[in-house]
Amino acid sequence: MTGFNAGLVRLTRSMVASAALVAIVAALAMAYTSGGGASRDSLVSEMLSNFILVLGMQLFIGNTGVLSFGHMAFAQIAAYSTAVVGIPLVAKAKALPDIPFGLETVHYGPLGATLFAIVVTVVIGGIFGIAVSRASGLAPTMITLAALFVVEQLVKNWKELTRGAGGLSGIPRLEGNGWLWGGALLALVIAHFFQETRIGRFAIATREDELAAPALGIRLFSSRWAAWTVSMGLIALGGSLRAQSLGSVNPKQFTLDSGILILVMLVVGGMRSISGAVLGTVLITAGNELFRQLGDPQRLDIERFPDLFLGGTMLLVMLLRPGGLLGDRDLAGWLRRLTYRRPPATGETPQQGVSTLVAAEIEVRFGGFVALDGAGLTVRPGEVIGLIGPNGAGKTTLFNVITGIVQEQGGRVTLGDQDLTESKPVDIARAGLARTFQNLRLFKNLSVRENVALTALVAARHRSHRVRPDADTLLADAGLTEWADRQAGTLDYGNQRRLELARAAALAPDFLLLDEPTSGMSDQESLAMVESVRSVAARVGAGVLVIDHDLGFITRISDHIVVLNEGRILAEGTPAEVRSNPLVAAAYLGSSA
Amino acid sequence: MTKLIQTIVDGLGVGSTYALLALGISLIFGVMHLVNFAHGELITVGAYTSYFFFLHGGSWWWMPIAIIGSAVLASVATELIAFRWVRNSSPFTLLLTSFALERLSHAFWQIAVSPKQRAFPKPAWVFNQFKIASVSFEVMDVVTIVVTALTLLLTAVIFKRTLFGISVRGAAEDFDAARLMGVRANRVISGAFAFAGVLAGVAATLILMRSPAAEPSMGSDWLLKAVIAAVIGGLGSFSGAVIGGLVLGLLETLTRAYLPEVAVGWDKFSTAIVFVLIAVFFVVRPDGIFRVSHAERV
Amino acid sequence: MTHMLEVDNITTRYGAITALHDASLEVHAGELVALVGPNGAGKTTLLNTVAGLLRPATGSVRFDGNDITGTEPARLVRAGLALVPEHRRIFKDLTVEENLRLGGSTASVADRRERLDEAAELFPVLRAKWTTSAGFLSGGEAQQLAVARALMSNPRLLLLDEPTLGLAPTMVDVVFDLLLRLRAQGRTLLVVEQNATRALGIADRGYLLRTGRVIATGTGPELAADASLFDSFIGGEA
Repeated sequence: MTGFNAGLVRLTRSMVASAALVAIVAALAMAYTSGGGASRDSLVSEMLSNFILVLGMQLFIGNTGVLSFGHMAFAQIAAYSTAVVGIPLVAKAKALPDIPFGLETVHYGPLGATLFAIVVTVVIGGIFGIAVSRASGLAPTMITLAALFVVEQLVKNWKELTRGAGGLSGIPRLEGNGWLWGGALLALVIAHFFQETRIGRFAIATREDELAAPALGIRLFSSRWAAWTVSMGLIALGGSLRAQSLGSVNPKQFTLDSGILILVMLVVGGMRSISGAVLGTVLITAGNELFRQLGDPQRLDIERFPDLFLGGTMLLVMLLRPGGLLGDRDLAGWLRRLTYRRPPATGETPQQGVSTLVAAEIEVRFGGFVALDGAGLTVRPGEVIGLIGPNGAGKTTLFNVITGIVQEQGGRVTLGDQDLTESKPVDIARAGLARTFQNLRLFKNLSVRENVALTALVAARHRSHRVRPDADTLLADAGLTEWADRQAGTLDYGNQRRLELARAAALAPDFLLLDEPTSGMSDQESLAMVESVRSVAARVGAGVLVIDHDLGFITRISDHIVVLNEGRILAEGTPAEVRSNPLVAAAYLGSSA
Repeated sequence: MTKLIQTIVDGLGVGSTYALLALGISLIFGVMHLVNFAHGELITVGAYTSYFFFLHGGSWWWMPIAIIGSAVLASVATELIAFRWVRNSSPFTLLLTSFALERLSHAFWQIAVSPKQRAFPKPAWVFNQFKIASVSFEVMDVVTIVVTALTLLLTAVIFKRTLFGISVRGAAEDFDAARLMGVRANRVISGAFAFAGVLAGVAATLILMRSPAAEPSMGSDWLLKAVIAAVIGGLGSFSGAVIGGLVLGLLETLTRAYLPEVAVGWDKFSTAIVFVLIAVFFVVRPDGIFRVSHAERV
Repeated sequence: MTHMLEVDNITTRYGAITALHDASLEVHAGELVALVGPNGAGKTTLLNTVAGLLRPATGSVRFDGNDITGTEPARLVRAGLALVPEHRRIFKDLTVEENLRLGGSTASVADRRERLDEAAELFPVLRAKWTTSAGFLSGGEAQQLAVARALMSNPRLLLLDEPTLGLAPTMVDVVFDLLLRLRAQGRTLLVVEQNATRALGIADRGYLLRTGRVIATGTGPELAADASLFDSFIGGEA
């Protein structure tokens, strides 16, 4: 029931934010159209359909950080889908005598045609999205570019269905702008609500860091694919309504160029912010129109000036404000912070994990270089193990093997009775190993609380058998309460380290794996870090495996120290034993040969 | 057999143009991690340069030099005006900056000349044909392949033998290490842009001999194909870019020629099928044919 | 003795991290100076700041009496200062010869040719693999290439960052021999080395760094015997 209530709160918040934005835009539109005739009305319709298309692109590009050129291809599929079921039967028989799939007898009204277009586009786009979401790096962008070519060719050449280059006309036109306003409002609510859902927030996490997100149990594929598929729905809505508002479709409507126009709107406003997308749409639509009027329609140069405006605006924004005009400022985000209420403390006492982490006989070679040569270690529930060793000893490699980022050539990793040797990072995280990174991999553009809350969401689904403290409790343990609403990237260094610790702990893991938590800290800060690690680990009942170079820190925090040298375990024991071991001294200082 | 040879020659003709452009894109990506969507505009610059010179009594005898020269100047200018100022930004910002330049270039030609196509004369011999053992070839196809081959050979020699070439390759692998060798950052990047300009200029010359006309947005289609070719080869890999270009060209012509034999009436979908294949390729090998490692410590 | 290098109170930051706090050191002409300290002490940051890869937030660096704070590496190489970076960073896609030619990119054609011959003579292992891609070299060969490559610019001051990292013990001997030979040639050396005892054993002077600060200095043997050395590596009071 509380889950349902929380969902209702989120939906309400999305609707309030959306209504507010629509009200602002409507006021502007009314002020603009009150003075003028039909051409002003049609500019408003154009802006509104742009609006929906921009939100469709924002939902994917803004939340996942993957650039797509292909969205317009799917808007085109939607527009043609609308046409083939929307054009009255007699006109259709004339324009498309050989139409396949039995479409010659199908006719829907505006609502039916729109829904049909959305279903067709989401199905085709969803299948295509599997390819986009599986790839990494630049490949997804290239796949969307390929989609653009494929759809362009199909539209031009599948004449039985599309009538080729001439396009299709005779789609019953929508009366007034009511449909478009409704569509824009709906698109806004969906775009806002998506950011409130678990999967939407996971998508944002993958945007912020493609490597850290899986290491915290967030699956890249499912969150990207969900964002893609929902964005297909919005794009289809935009494409379909545009077709119905113009009454016709042709292959020139949804080209790469028109896609770039939409992209400029998104980028200028700030792609991470929905309010920014709205601002960008209004500004660019208006500016585009203004520059269009500079041209002389008689002289065919009506298209000259808008390109100048688009290119110039985009260049200036990239040079001066690469995050867009609004950056991360967002009405919905502001509302979220405003209405944030800390959940009541559960008062549950922390429970300790029961599984033991064992890495045995690990072997890793990079080319000819042997990084790990049979190293292994055991961490029992609740235990704190320090892992030390000179530079190049293989400490981080051992971490990467345990957390699945590096594949070992030999050896086994087990947690209790689970074999994690072949598992992927995301599954290892869900199994109960949470890590931090040597070079800080925070979700920099998100708030401090959001960083922790994101992992807590993973825990709610996959670590439900453990006691899971809320984000604020962990922030308090890490000493970050006063920074909770700050953007994570703006924290000072020591606090960023502490935030990584709290974020990892929010997974309610059996073990925390900390890679150099004090690196770059002064002696005093390191000392304070001992307390932070202890209280955070105690809060979730996790054992700790920690790499550090600060021996003072390691000595204070560890129950047991393992010394790694040249890929092998050189020594282990209590801090005092390790300190007095001559082998350790030799490994660190070098033998005086 | 005759048909196969002709198709392959055709494919190599188109593919070699892609290869020249893709190599320029890969080169610039190597030294500054920019996917340069403004690269195709160099073709447009070359086209308008030819148009201008033909208005004032130009001749194809020296036009290639004018085209290549203008492409080099334009390429270096884009770096000076725009890319230098965002050099350390994210690849996303770099890419969008190049997009902005592409738009501005379109606008510039529309305003300065006209949105309409401007044609100029072509060399008289371009569409002449000749026969070897009953297989007929177009002169231009052979010229295209030979010129590209020579250009790539010269490029290989420069990359292998000259200090400039070695500097660019070194900088593409590890920019800071190259700086420690005394390589000047600004100079090697400007040099890479100039060199990419030469390659684009050669490509533009070959394109313009065949279809001698200037149009504001003519560079875009070539550019998109060339970007795809460069990514197929593995961005940052120079031989990959060449192979990617040739593969894309051959794939296009071979499907167009042989698809009708496999499935009647499907020839009109050949481009669509090529790009479906490319999409599948990227799912299987997201890093392209030659993986270029950008080692990252975690 | 003249000051070849003077580092005066430099502080260097990476974003929010301050990796060096007010560090100072000096190197006289002809000296071999060792820079030791535990990992994360700021040794690499110090060398990278001197070599111009990083710009200090405050403080200054002087080379031959000229202020070189924040000067581009390319100009420093021409002035006679070269760095053999951490992890060697040889160009794996380039052949051994190409690596060396790039190292000599600032020299005249005649000088470059002459030094290529010298390198072939000084490093027989490299001569045997002259046209091999550097990616195929073993760790020891790669380290020798990294040093040979830096020598191509004929530097008067050579900075070396962890030249023995990841090398087999016999190769460590080879590298230490090389350091001594370079000093005998009259070159000035500033070496960061994790093999602290041994580095201090051959060094004229040494500096001990910890958490971004210089905490001790002295002649090699003095510093090697200093208790703070052991403590800073293996931890203070337990």
